[in-house]
Amino acid sequence: MAAVQVSESDQIKQFKEFLGTYNKVTENCFMDCVKDFTSRDVKPEESSCSESCLQKYLKMTQRISMRFQEYHIQQNEALAAKAGLLGVPH
Amino acid sequence: MDPMKAQQLAAELEVEMMADMYNRMTNACHRKCVPPHYKEAELTKGESVCLDRCVAKYLDLHERLGRKLTELSVQDEDMMRKAAVGSG
Repeated sequence: MAAVQVSESDQIKQFKEFLGTYNKVTENCFMDCVKDFTSRDVKPEESSCSESCLQKYLKMTQRISMRFQEYHIQQNEALAAKAGLLGVPH
Repeated sequence: MDPMKAQQLAAELEVEMMADMYNRMTNACHRKCVPPHYKEAELTKGESVCLDRCVAKYLDLHERLGRKLTELSVQDEDMMRKAAVGSG
């Protein structure tokens, strides 16, 4: 029962994060790519810029996430080493 | 507040803080490393390397400032306690 509850709230958290990213990337790419307000139509260069912007943003967040996880793994290993858990002969 | 509850609350707050820090770090490194040109969808080698370094530096700085902040707030607390005793 407890396991099901955890995964539901995790799912909701994930979805919330996704929605947040969605809004952030929209605002970001709009600011950087949309410059022409002489008409309501999104110009083709604005559209391709936004698409590249989105893809780049996602790749960037993936890379940052990777490095962040690596950092924490390193930290945990350092702590474990200090606590004498690593290098115990077995 | 009972100590168990206080500890649990502190842990939850720390998790929240980490999430907030992560978001700010992402923002900061985005602004520092990815110029708003978007000619292509791939990260350039330069941008990638910059991001790696940016994350490392941000986390390092976060740690240093955390330590310094704790130090200063302990000092602050001491000062206030002494002032309270003095005025009592």
